Amino acid sequence: MTLNHYLVLSAILLGIGLLGVLTRRNIIVVLFSIEILFNAANLNFIAFWRFGPNPEALMGPMFALFAIAVAAAEVAVGLALVIAVYRHFKTVDLEKLDTLREP
Amino acid sequence: MIEGVAFYILSTVAVLGALLAVSRRNLVHGVFALLLFFAALSGLFVMLMADYVAAVQVLVYVGAVGILQLFAIMLTEHVTGDDLRRLGARGWFWGLMLAVALPVVLLLPPLLNGEPPVPPAAPQSTARQLGSQLMEHYVVPLEVLALLLTGALIGAVAVAHGPEKDPPGKDRPA
Repeated sequence: MTLNHYLVLSAILLGIGLLGVLTRRNIIVVLFSIEILFNAANLNFIAFWRFGPNPEALMGPMFALFAIAVAAAEVAVGLALVIAVYRHFKTVDLEKLDTLREP
Repeated sequence: MIEGVAFYILSTVAVLGALLAVSRRNLVHGVFALLLFFAALSGLFVMLMADYVAAVQVLVYVGAVGILQLFAIMLTEHVTGDDLRRLGARGWFWGLMLAVALPVVLLLPPLLNGEPPVPPAAPQSTARQLGSQLMEHYVVPLEVLALLLTGALIGAVAVAHGPEKDPPGKDRPA
């Protein structure tokens, strides 16, 4: 397995995540897709570390760990926002969430 | 040989899981496909000798994030939302075009460059070194991260809690 295999896989996953973000209308599915984007980026961090010139420095796993922790914080706040939006508008459809104030 | 078979199996599972997660109409099915995707990615991390990151991936994503998303689905609309209506033909088309074009553009430099780099010798288990580096060299970022997670926790509770219906102590008989 070479670096290019992992880069191709990561790019495919990035494309799938982007497709979900751009075309789905359910706000929860958009959050799923953002998770897929994060994981594609993490795969790239690890792959570049493994095939890079200096694997003893551990920059790749360290960066991936911090990215995972920040992504976990993002999921917690994002899902809380989804629940707040649902309580206010009674929908999770992005097409209907088009007002900034009380309708 | 074995490595190649494992890579193709894991990457097929990852791609299928991601595709199902973004395309299923039933959100609960989508969450389980997403968990499959996270688990396959953890296997790929093991193949790349990042054992500690693989363990963290299982703990944080398959454990915590999956449960959180299930809770969010249960707390919002009907589980099987009729969500397959797209943004309309043009939105769907341009989304697909961008989702195909961006990976192709990103992949052009490595694929045109010819020979991929040869991997160095496999490093030892990374958990011990990661732990000591986190406690020595990266201790300030670690503390900042702890602060961020605390802030995210409090913020999530504050946002999801919502406004008080009737403030306590307002019309309480004195």
